Amino acid sequence: MNVLARASLQWALGLLLGAVFIYASWDKILHPAEFARIVYHYQLIGPSRAVGPLPANLFAVTLPWIELLVGLLLASGLWRREAALVAAVMLLAFVLAVGAALVRGIDIENCGCFTVTGTGRQAGLKLIAGDLVLLAAAAALLVPRRSALTSAGPAT
Amino acid sequence: MKLLWRAVLIVATGAGLGLTWNAASGRGFALERNALVKEGDQVVEAPQARQRLEKGALFLDARPVDFYEMSHIPGALPLPEEDFDRAFAKIEPRLRESLDVIVYCAGFGCEASHIVARKLKDRGIPAEILHEGWPAWQDAGYPVKPGREP
Repeated sequence: MNVLARASLQWALGLLLGAVFIYASWDKILHPAEFARIVYHYQLIGPSRAVGPLPANLFAVTLPWIELLVGLLLASGLWRREAALVAAVMLLAFVLAVGAALVRGIDIENCGCFTVTGTGRQAGLKLIAGDLVLLAAAAALLVPRRSALTSAGPAT
Repeated sequence: MKLLWRAVLIVATGAGLGLTWNAASGRGFALERNALVKEGDQVVEAPQARQRLEKGALFLDARPVDFYEMSHIPGALPLPEEDFDRAFAKIEPRLRESLDVIVYCAGFGCEASHIVARKLKDRGIPAEILHEGWPAWQDAGYPVKPGREP
């Protein structure tokens, strides 16, 4: 693939992935307590007798803003590789969390991916497949730039 | 290395923004509190619930019936959240006679007892929620019973 095509692809992937992360963050930012309740359903970081609700609540309050920041950076092209790295780690964590819920037989009706107040997507294999596609996009954005052209965006 | 440090900075900045938003926006919630507990929910701790069991409080098990049949608080009736309307119709007369009703479920991240208690309240039956539910009861060594109630 030539340098121009590669730069265009990276911009397109960055925009797409960035838009997904920005969209994913919005409802959670507006309704943090509702998102915390969904985090509880995964039964991974509490609430439990040992740790109480604090770790799950901290996760619910901070994750959406990390998603928003990552989305904005991916879409804008600033620190795109760094944002892609954070996105990849988050997506991998999401895949593992949904996988763990499936293995343990926990039925999660709303995964908390995009909406926390209405009917959301069920945590299942389809969701894992979707996250893996996004993970592949994040991994593609992690590949180092080889030309200054990529930082200037696609030629018009 | 620069890549990693910048990634850490992104996470730290996002986390800082999240904590600030939670504290200052008016949309946040108390981080040390269980988010399942909403305004108006009445919560009772296991030792107090035990005392009230001895005084005749009616306990309701909001877990799926299979779990109820494995083991439950003595005297408790099944009122699974997933099958609320049907189960409620069966035990409604008894519920309306009871002056002290306590609902429990699988504890910690379990929301069923909160939902059931709110539905009961909507139907004019005040009910309290056993804090940390079934695990708190079991861990305290309080009595449990297998099978169904007569």
